[in-house]
Amino acid sequence: MKSRIAAALLGLTLLGLPLLAGADLGDLFSTIKQAFKPADLDTEIAIGHDAAATLLGASKPINEAAVQDYVNKVGLWVALQSDRPDLPWHFAVVDSDDIDAFAAPGGFVFLTRGLLLHMHSEAELAGVLGHEISHVVLKHHLKALQTAARLDLVSQGAQAVAQEKGYNSDLDNQLMDKVSSASRTLYSKGLDKGDELDADRMGVVLAARAGYDPYGLLAVLQTLAAVDPHSSSMQLLMATHPAPEDRIIALSAAMDAGKLEQFGMQAEGQERFEGVIKELIADTNKEKASAKPEAISQRILPAARP
Amino acid sequence: MSRWPGLCAILLVLGAVHAAAVSTAQTVVAGNLNSSPNSDASVVAAVPNATAVTVIRRQGGWYHVRLASGQEGWLPMTSIRYNSSGKGSVVPGTDWSSLFQSGRSGSSGATATTGVRGLNTGDIANATPDPQAVVDLDQWQSKPGQAKDFAAALPLTAAPQIGYLPQVKP
Repeated sequence: MKSRIAAALLGLTLLGLPLLAGADLGDLFSTIKQAFKPADLDTEIAIGHDAAATLLGASKPINEAAVQDYVNKVGLWVALQSDRPDLPWHFAVVDSDDIDAFAAPGGFVFLTRGLLLHMHSEAELAGVLGHEISHVVLKHHLKALQTAARLDLVSQGAQAVAQEKGYNSDLDNQLMDKVSSASRTLYSKGLDKGDELDADRMGVVLAARAGYDPYGLLAVLQTLAAVDPHSSSMQLLMATHPAPEDRIIALSAAMDAGKLEQFGMQAEGQERFEGVIKELIADTNKEKASAKPEAISQRILPAARP
Repeated sequence: MSRWPGLCAILLVLGAVHAAAVSTAQTVVAGNLNSSPNSDASVVAAVPNATAVTVIRRQGGWYHVRLASGQEGWLPMTSIRYNSSGKGSVVPGTDWSSLFQSGRSGSSGATATTGVRGLNTGDIANATPDPQAVVDLDQWQSKPGQAKDFAAALPLTAAPQIGYLPQVKP
């Protein structure tokens, strides 16, 4: 931590030295120190709220209470098996036919309807939610957002400090303002590849601890590996994640080494999942029936799987 | 106009038949077709790399498959890859597509044309935050007691003893 603060100070010095004449270096140091402290839970949730608002600004939750209720129950049950069971976990299916899922700090997890319709059982859903829950547990987005927001602050810090003292009190507000812009960048570019593979490995364990067949996530990745990676439905996922094939290779090796095969007989939850999906499709058909023929949407649909 | 319900019914039946058609895949390594889904099971047949198989169902890390010869058995799931669903945005028929009334496509599957609600990197990069949508998520939030009842109903039995997986070189 000290070295990061020193690096930031060095950056500040390089960027803003001409402006620093007269500024109190002690104040400057405490400002930077505050910007680099680990987020407490309230700050994490506030950052997550901001990031979630950005994601939901791009794609709204679907208006299907039964589906949202179902996803929240599966998700919370899986999250309760994690090292952060007490977070205010929120899950939602968002209104897009494209394929992706997202996590935001503080316990927000979203997946697209397009991804949901590429699944075939509750165990598959639990695996995908387990992956996203793991991002939250491991604070992947929190760390990335804080770093991005801080770097932005640091580059502005020299000028701010030089211009007026009392900058410290505004620091949290300024940090939060930076989160929205950092979110737009982070969620369109993605995390480090290593973070994704870490979340895959933890996600299957959370699903297994929840009593599900741990191979659900691997099954979803196999389904996605058969979808044309250049299709529009895969654009966001491919831009923000390692290719499904690379994830399959890394995850299956870890699952073999961890002897998860012995839990392969755990629950699949296929019937309960199918009941919810059929309800979703029936409602979609009702909507279509009442819409004008030319407004009927032709959806991208998954390949058949056993 | 009155023929539409009949036509829809026919399309639905065709879709259902198509959905019942099983998935095709091929092996990506040479291996053994086992008589049951575990590595200690007896071997039904040796299966070379790039063998076409029909997948019947999955159980844990294994697929129940049928070979062109008609022989059936189990292969580790990572020893096969599903055949690609094709170029462009056209995806073949599906178990779910048979239930959608798409209006135009029958058993050949849905075509991505107009009205698809997309979400791409540009949509996120240019998103206007919607804080109220985050507040509204509370209406669907589950309580731990509800999640536990929901799990018990399947039933799901928690297995907290399962340890995290270390990273291994594939």
